Amino acid sequence: MGKKLLSEKFYSAMTTLESRYPSKVALLLPALHAAQDEFGWLSPEILEEVGDFIGIHPAQVREVASFYTMYNLKPVGKYHLKVCTNVACCLRGSEELVQHCEKKFGIQVGETTRDKKFTLVEEECLGACGTAPAMMLNDDYHENLTVSKLDQLLDHLE
Amino acid sequence: MPKCIIDGREAEFTPGQNLIEVAKNAGIDIPLFCYHPGLSVVAQCRMCAVEVEKMPKLQTACSTMATEGMVVKTKSPKTAENQKSVMEFLLANHPLDCPICDKSGECDLQDNSYKYGSAYSRYTEERRTYLDLDMGPVIKKNMNRCIHCTRCIRFGSEVAGIHEMVALKRGNNTEITTIDGKPLETDYAGNYADICPTGSLTIKDFRFKKRVWFLTKVPTVCEGCSKGCNMEVHQDNNQIYRCIPRENMEINRHWLCDEGRFNFHYVEREDRLLDPARSKSGGLEVCDWGTSIDLAKATLDGKQIAFLIGSDLTQEEGAAILQFRSQHYPGAPVYHFGTPGVVSSADDAPEDRILKRKSKTSNLHGLEKLGIPGFTKLPKEITALLVIRGGRATLPLEIDGVEKVGLGVFMKDQAMMFSVILPGLSFAEKDGTILNYEGREQKLKRALQPLGQSKPVSEILMMWVNRKKAHGAA
Repeated sequence: MGKKLLSEKFYSAMTTLESRYPSKVALLLPALHAAQDEFGWLSPEILEEVGDFIGIHPAQVREVASFYTMYNLKPVGKYHLKVCTNVACCLRGSEELVQHCEKKFGIQVGETTRDKKFTLVEEECLGACGTAPAMMLNDDYHENLTVSKLDQLLDHLE
Repeated sequence: MPKCIIDGREAEFTPGQNLIEVAKNAGIDIPLFCYHPGLSVVAQCRMCAVEVEKMPKLQTACSTMATEGMVVKTKSPKTAENQKSVMEFLLANHPLDCPICDKSGECDLQDNSYKYGSAYSRYTEERRTYLDLDMGPVIKKNMNRCIHCTRCIRFGSEVAGIHEMVALKRGNNTEITTIDGKPLETDYAGNYADICPTGSLTIKDFRFKKRVWFLTKVPTVCEGCSKGCNMEVHQDNNQIYRCIPRENMEINRHWLCDEGRFNFHYVEREDRLLDPARSKSGGLEVCDWGTSIDLAKATLDGKQIAFLIGSDLTQEEGAAILQFRSQHYPGAPVYHFGTPGVVSSADDAPEDRILKRKSKTSNLHGLEKLGIPGFTKLPKEITALLVIRGGRATLPLEIDGVEKVGLGVFMKDQAMMFSVILPGLSFAEKDGTILNYEGREQKLKRALQPLGQSKPVSEILMMWVNRKKAHGAA
């Protein structure tokens, strides 16, 4: 194996976490989160390193990482917009929000703007049906959105 | 034995048996896709769901254990309705390419669709399609045909011991694949195609070669190593198209390694010698049987000879050779050869944790039982050799410097070292008994008529004997 890409901090954090899980394989999800925190996304090399650390085939890591939408398998922009398009949000107009964003940034869902500033994705249920439509901007929730509220929010971003 | 009732029929079972197995023993087929007796049970295709009395919902027969007095209905309206719905879902995205699909004719999806599905589709949306990346030399993937049964994934992680096949993404977007089109690593990749219930994974080697219903299936035993895995040779018009595993729970269960599966190719290799021939000034000259046997005799007679026989020969051939030796060349030593580094059965050990063994010939243990020792080095006084082999045993290196007669299956480049070649039969062209590593006797069954002018060992030795007599009289 070549040079390690993940930091010492990652490995020491994992050592602390390990005792909390019944098996090392169960550590996979937190390990992927921690790895993503370091790079912003999970490259094939990182997935392989995580696989080596857990002791499973890299394909198995990919299987898990591609199942969950919160792991980014492609680089994302500075602002990661995750608009919920599940039933409740759809009924409350989330499709309009998505179309608005697409038009505003000139990108399709799943793409990143040229200046690497915005990435737009559709998310399955965010668990905010009571305050639909909802969206995540990086790690923060924004609820009861309308197009004008969304514009206001986006225009204030650096 | 406890009993349950399936479709009004009393069925005996051993506790812990699931309904699919119990029904099978009672002669009732429950349709299924994801269940495989050699793999773990996941109950995700829902096709095997049956009605069980006193249970409110349909139960998947693969994950429901039979219990005393259980009343199961596999053909009730409720069951049939479920089967029809499952078929409709599975076929929503399945392409209608059966006419060009290799699986067609032995496809679970096709068979169950005829039996339980509808002839019409209500689906008008666009079908999902995938670009298929390569999967290495053995398997060709066609993801559009996949029904997500995950048998291949489970085979990889549970049997082959490598989790290389995975399901990426989820739901309708699920893709069964290796990562980034990496070739499959396991030596058992052919099984992926065998267990696939659709034509999603097919064998590259067999692709577009033959429609399966034209194939004659001959139950025989693999000669690839001393394990003795049971397999079927599929041939048509005296040509082998493929080999597939045959279930034997005590030896290979449901599997076959790639080495054994593709071993048959040498049988029909273009450079296999199918005519008697003699070597002449650096080349080979085809001659007739009479001349070649005279030449063989002339090469050996009056010399100190030894027999080298491949451990890919059968017990019958071994016994015939021993008898020939004691009557016509008494005192000549007989040795067996087969795999470099494996001299006797003591050297034969498992090569991996699945099936393969170190002895790469099928009958090492049988020939040893006949009292034939393994070959290590030629005794000094030996000046000529009669080498007899099937197509599998590796010729030993330490036999230079003496005259040699070759009897059996030889390729052109191997044949150059012999004065005379008498073409014999490969495993697919003969009947016979072989003993596997546990001493289990199994039958090779003839799948092909002998190719070219090749003849069985016994017949060649008989010709030899008769010619010898004729010459002696003259």
